[in-house]
Amino acid sequence: MAMTPDGSADAVGPAATSAAGNDAGLVAASPSGVSSPIIVPNTLWSSVNPGAYLSTAPAYTHLRELEGSDLMLSDTARWGQLDVIPTKADILIDLIRMNSLWPLLSGLACCAIEMMSAATSKNDMDRWGMFPFRASPRQADVLIVAGTLTTKMAGPLVRLWEQMPEPKWVVAMGDCTCSGGRYKRSYSTIEGIDRVMPVDVYVPGCPPRPEGLIYGMMKLGQLVKERRGHWDEHRIGPNVPQDV
Amino acid sequence: MTANAEPRQHPSEDDPRIMLHGQMGQYEQVPPYPPRTEREAEFYTLGDGEMFLNMGPQHPSTHGVLRVVLKISGEKVVDLDPVLGYLHRGVEKLCENSDYHHIISQIDPLEYVSSLFMEWAPVMSVEKLMDVQVPRRAEYIRVLTGELLRVASHALFQGWMALDLGGLTPILYSFIERDEIVEALAALTGQRMLFNYFRVGGVNGDLNHEFLSRVGDWMSRALVQHEANIGLLNENEIFVRRMRGIGRVDRDMALRMGVTGPNIRAAGVPFDVRRSHPYSVYPELEFNVPVRGANGGGDSLDRYLLRLDEVRESIRIIDQCLHEMPDGPVMARLPRLMRPRPGRAWAAVESPRGLFGTYVISDGTDQPFRFRIHDPSFVHLQLVGMLMKDNLIADTMAVMASLDPVMGGIDK
Repeated sequence: MAMTPDGSADAVGPAATSAAGNDAGLVAASPSGVSSPIIVPNTLWSSVNPGAYLSTAPAYTHLRELEGSDLMLSDTARWGQLDVIPTKADILIDLIRMNSLWPLLSGLACCAIEMMSAATSKNDMDRWGMFPFRASPRQADVLIVAGTLTTKMAGPLVRLWEQMPEPKWVVAMGDCTCSGGRYKRSYSTIEGIDRVMPVDVYVPGCPPRPEGLIYGMMKLGQLVKERRGHWDEHRIGPNVPQDV
Repeated sequence: MTANAEPRQHPSEDDPRIMLHGQMGQYEQVPPYPPRTEREAEFYTLGDGEMFLNMGPQHPSTHGVLRVVLKISGEKVVDLDPVLGYLHRGVEKLCENSDYHHIISQIDPLEYVSSLFMEWAPVMSVEKLMDVQVPRRAEYIRVLTGELLRVASHALFQGWMALDLGGLTPILYSFIERDEIVEALAALTGQRMLFNYFRVGGVNGDLNHEFLSRVGDWMSRALVQHEANIGLLNENEIFVRRMRGIGRVDRDMALRMGVTGPNIRAAGVPFDVRRSHPYSVYPELEFNVPVRGANGGGDSLDRYLLRLDEVRESIRIIDQCLHEMPDGPVMARLPRLMRPRPGRAWAAVESPRGLFGTYVISDGTDQPFRFRIHDPSFVHLQLVGMLMKDNLIADTMAVMASLDPVMGGIDK
């Protein structure tokens, strides 16, 4: 394999240049300020077209050595030259989160029927990893607020949202939860759940079709991947009724 | 400001006074206020070995946002207290503040599983006030769409019933049934759930090709599919043993409590609004009123089986409607601004849950002076407290599911 490290790469690495002048037992300091990397021999992956990458192993072993240089812009700098996959665990975790969004089973009114319809046979949300509707907020990632939120239900719903472990997201399903919808004029409803909790995705419609909800959940997946959730930005809103 | 005023002290965590209310082993009184009625005082006094168990308002099988406080002794339910109002949207008041056209869209989401029946009753009330003669084709379309929705609602009931007893599979099949019907109605009305289709004096639009082809497609295998769905559950021994003999509503109790719909027919009383107080074109159609539990009172299984019988009758009605659909207009000629004569009108329809009625008082303006809604689920929920005495906790939801309440109608 072209990517297997050879002798020259071992000789030029930061670990080789450190030695003298430093106390033993400390991590060796290199001129570039990068500590010695962990080199994992690449036995898993090889390029289909080895000619697409440089044939010789590079002198550097860590991406931080390349910051600011033009080499960062090419594929060789990112993948080909290194024997490590330079990624963060966060990116991997975000991918996992994005592809297994577990909603909380909390239907309030009409939209709950369409939410169930989205989860059952005809339009199967499970295909995108959104299925296991959890009955307990402790096990859920996403709160799909499906249906009219009344003032009496607002307190329990906020408590449900607070009981969910972070990170967590909220999808407002239906016109009632987006803006009040056809019950905006009522004396007992809350005109949009963004008055009581931060909302990530709004799915309008009265009720939206199940496909609409699935599309909204896919949009939420993008937000999750880009870490654009709103759950840590603001806490309970001003209109939460007390002692409910 | 007096000279000897002490500087204000901020409470710290070391302050013993703060810990007074939060000591271990002391719990808040339930409910936090002193009892207001005799019933509350009796219910919230615990006997020997009893405890409270709070179920809801967020609970997967309460058919909406209902909170039930159970007083239990071991595994037995001693007493229970349903707490309502978590879905109170003020529909009556909204209807009183909107004109007669808007009422249809305001009352539509009241009971969202069978929303066409929610439109039917107020439309009939206003037609009585206005002395409108509805075209026969419009009446046939109303019956056709209504019975389709009744089949969808009973299909969902079957799935929920099994779900509350712990079986996941039937709901997958019942939603296939429901989605097919609802997609056909969406081709007619433009909406999957809250159709907003009936109008005072007729319906919003005539039948179209896509609706009829979808309905014909569904009708070609409706009965076969129904029999297949029945075969999923009715032979299941666990299912039958958890339903038989539990939640018995006898004839006297049903009559005393004002039960209607499938629940009273399962108690041996052949009361069906379509037959007892005929409306629309139901007198012209042939169908039976299925009755069960005539000897010994209806249990949960009777109520379940009766709804399956009703589906067969509904399919029969749909068949007749499709074959005998008359030609003609679908809307009566009416003024745009409706000002009925001062007076009052009551109209009731047989919704999948029972007698659903509206009572409209008109004062001659374009808005009703009073708009009263009678919903069958509210009546049926009263039974839960009587049926659950000395039953197991696990059967609470099974009995409630067999009564088939929908919280949207209960809380209005």
